[in-house]
Amino acid sequence: MMSSGKSRVKMRPPRNRDSGDVNFDESWAVLSTAMQEMYRKNASRLSYEELYRTAYTLVLKKHAERLYNSFKTFVAQHLRDIVATELAPLASNTANSLLTSTIGGGGVTSTIAVPLAAADKREGGIRFLKAVKAQWDDHCLCMRMISDILMYMDRVYCKELQLPLIYDAGLALFRDHVIRNNEFQVGEHIYAIILDQIQLERDGDIVDTSAIKAAVLMLESLTEDKIDGETVYSRSFEPKFLRSSVEFYTTETEKLSRECDSSQYLIKTEKRLQEEYERAMSYLSVTSEPKITKIVEENLITKNIVSVIRSDASGLTFMIANDRLDDLKRLYRLCKRVDPEITDLRGALNARVIQQGAEINQDALEVLKHPDKSKGVTAQNAATAAAFKWVEEVLGLKENYDRILNGTMDGDNQIQTSLTNAFSSFINQMNRCSEFLSLFIDDNLKKGLKGKTEDEAEAVLDRAITLFRYIADKDMFETYYKTHLAKRLLGGRSISDDVERMMITKLKMEVGFSFTTKLEGMFKDMKVSNDIMQEYKAHVQNTDPERTIDLTVSVLTSTNWPVSLSTVESHTCVYPPEIERIKRSFEKFYVDRHSGRVLTWNPNMGNADIRVAFRKRKHELNVSTYAMVILMLFNDLADGESLTYEEIKAATSIPDNELIRNLQSLAVVPKTRILIKQPMSKDINAADRFSFNVEFESQYIRIKIPTVAYINKTETETERKGTMDKVDELRRYQTDAAIVRIMKARKTLEHNILVAEVTGQLSSHFHPDAALIKKRIDAMLEREYIERSAENRQMYHYLA
Amino acid sequence: MADMSGDREYVRLVSSDGFEYSILRSAAAVSGTLRGMLSQSSNFVEAKQNRVVLPNISGVLLEKVCEYLYYNLKHQNNPGNIPEFDVPPEMALELLVASDFLDGKHC
Repeated sequence: MMSSGKSRVKMRPPRNRDSGDVNFDESWAVLSTAMQEMYRKNASRLSYEELYRTAYTLVLKKHAERLYNSFKTFVAQHLRDIVATELAPLASNTANSLLTSTIGGGGVTSTIAVPLAAADKREGGIRFLKAVKAQWDDHCLCMRMISDILMYMDRVYCKELQLPLIYDAGLALFRDHVIRNNEFQVGEHIYAIILDQIQLERDGDIVDTSAIKAAVLMLESLTEDKIDGETVYSRSFEPKFLRSSVEFYTTETEKLSRECDSSQYLIKTEKRLQEEYERAMSYLSVTSEPKITKIVEENLITKNIVSVIRSDASGLTFMIANDRLDDLKRLYRLCKRVDPEITDLRGALNARVIQQGAEINQDALEVLKHPDKSKGVTAQNAATAAAFKWVEEVLGLKENYDRILNGTMDGDNQIQTSLTNAFSSFINQMNRCSEFLSLFIDDNLKKGLKGKTEDEAEAVLDRAITLFRYIADKDMFETYYKTHLAKRLLGGRSISDDVERMMITKLKMEVGFSFTTKLEGMFKDMKVSNDIMQEYKAHVQNTDPERTIDLTVSVLTSTNWPVSLSTVESHTCVYPPEIERIKRSFEKFYVDRHSGRVLTWNPNMGNADIRVAFRKRKHELNVSTYAMVILMLFNDLADGESLTYEEIKAATSIPDNELIRNLQSLAVVPKTRILIKQPMSKDINAADRFSFNVEFESQYIRIKIPTVAYINKTETETERKGTMDKVDELRRYQTDAAIVRIMKARKTLEHNILVAEVTGQLSSHFHPDAALIKKRIDAMLEREYIERSAENRQMYHYLA
Repeated sequence: MADMSGDREYVRLVSSDGFEYSILRSAAAVSGTLRGMLSQSSNFVEAKQNRVVLPNISGVLLEKVCEYLYYNLKHQNNPGNIPEFDVPPEMALELLVASDFLDGKHC
């Protein structure tokens, strides 16, 4: 900026107009008077420039330090005067006032502290706050003005020596001489008043929040020396506030838990949370908000929520039972605030679901044990009814909880998991669950879904699948389902092929196709049989057109169909010669087509239509194969003759249990007494005689004679044991296969890892227990599929 | 602090020998001291009258100061290529003291 020193002009020092040393006291007098005037709000009469120059000169003359200290002393004194004259009188209105009073007539004087009336006290409090605020505002204003005048000193002296600037020094002086004034305890008064007001508001009154806010702002502006980030607010006031809040909420928690039921408690808790939040945000410091929220949460929620949930009269159980969706929503919200993992709530839900599930299981078992005979429910029907009841109730429970989960708990995943676990647990506790579910589906496919649209049918099946997912021992289910399906297919009882296939598809989606190959095989067999029958019929037309008996055969691949159908011993039967002849004919026909296959006839699943001439008229009877064989015996008998049970048995070789059943349906069941039994009784004994009932009458021409107890009953104990054994055997094979598979792939594995892998592989079928796996590993060791490692007893090697 | 209508408003600076210079408020605001003096939020006499008396600065000096204030104001926005500000050497020292007094941050 200066021009280069080309021109040789003499540089003269500036003319110094100030002569010699300046008189500090004079200058100071000027300044201090000015400051007084500022405080008295008479600044407009002052010349900024003059004051600025005065200060400037003092600093130039090296009197800065003195100036600084004089300034501080001046302000300190001024503030103390203010406190004494303006604030102290107001302070006394907020404290307890002392009165002397005379007691009795004996002239005894004593001094009692009598609190002023509450309202007066509060009025006084607010007035005090406002007065302090007024002084504070004035002070800040003056400090700004003084800071402007003394700016030169700030710039040159304070910055250099790192002293606080004038403005900041002024604030610190206010802090020390007003707020922390030992004589008059202004600060303490302020804190007490604010806390008092807060208490009022907590009790429900309206308070002057602007006054409090102003005071809080002031406290926040006063920083502490040498402590970073702390203000008078955070250091002196906030701790008191938090302490008193803890006290308040401790009592409040007690009060609420005593007086309110769970629903009320939750509502009030939310209200308090809201209130404290608003208070902190609106007139306290925002920094206090998380702290006070934490206090409320800890007291009202964390400490007490368990008893709120568990309350019998109004807790979680009550809310669920009575559909208190709002309450549940609120409960969830509050729990989630303090505990993102909502362990308490989850635990309670889990427990409740298991409890309800156990009740459902219990009810079903009760129905099984004590069927309601008055309604004509037999033991077998009862079992089926129990199955239905169970399935419906479980699904109902699930739907209820789904509604609650989605409606009130936001579909929270953790709760979802908890519920799923609870459902899994009690469903699998019911060890007849697979059987029940299969029965449910079976009944629907036979009767229940009749007349429903495809969508409706699908909906019902979807519900069944939902239940299926929870079942751990899926292979049990498979066994039952196969048996029921076989009976449906063979008896032609399924209402719709499409619906059956829909079910299979859904099962496939759930557990993969290995599960459903056999089932699909069964369907294929039926179709193939149909095709063969067409061919056979054509063949018969050509070779034996005179034949009077129509034969329809279903050829089943034995591996696909339930094991019980293919054991040979229990299905002996000696057929009448005419039947035998056509049987042979078909066998020959079939074996010609598929050499190498062996056919085994299975009489217990077939039926026959017979035309029978009674005295009155002819009827066409539809009976089981066995029944047909029995009836044909009577063809050769003369009228009036009879056969004993033993004779019938000898002639037909029908096993006892089947024989009894069929004789019962032919001779005992009231409406269909084709045979007359002597003696007439329900049981069949060896000596009973049977004769043809030529007097039989019925209004229908075509009569179906069902075999007694043909509906799918739930299994008897022995049958169930049989099923379990089969399932166990299958499981053994599957476990073995899994072990070998895994070992082959990994070559070497440690025992625990092997167990884990096996469990994982089998999980879609059933849940293997550790003992079973261990046994199978031992078996594998014996059979030398694997060996123990020499170095480590816990490791296994695969043996090729 | 800075007046919103500072662009159009003029303030007066008075030197020790009675010369009055009228400059834009925004130019005056370049000096921290002057800005504070004239700020409407202070209650001093200067602010009310929009007039500052400077008894320790001569007229010649004050003129140069005003020139500088305008110079600064004009080139505030691009600190790149600006022409030099000419200062006669005999005034240099006095100008320095004055600028210190006036808290001219940009000297």
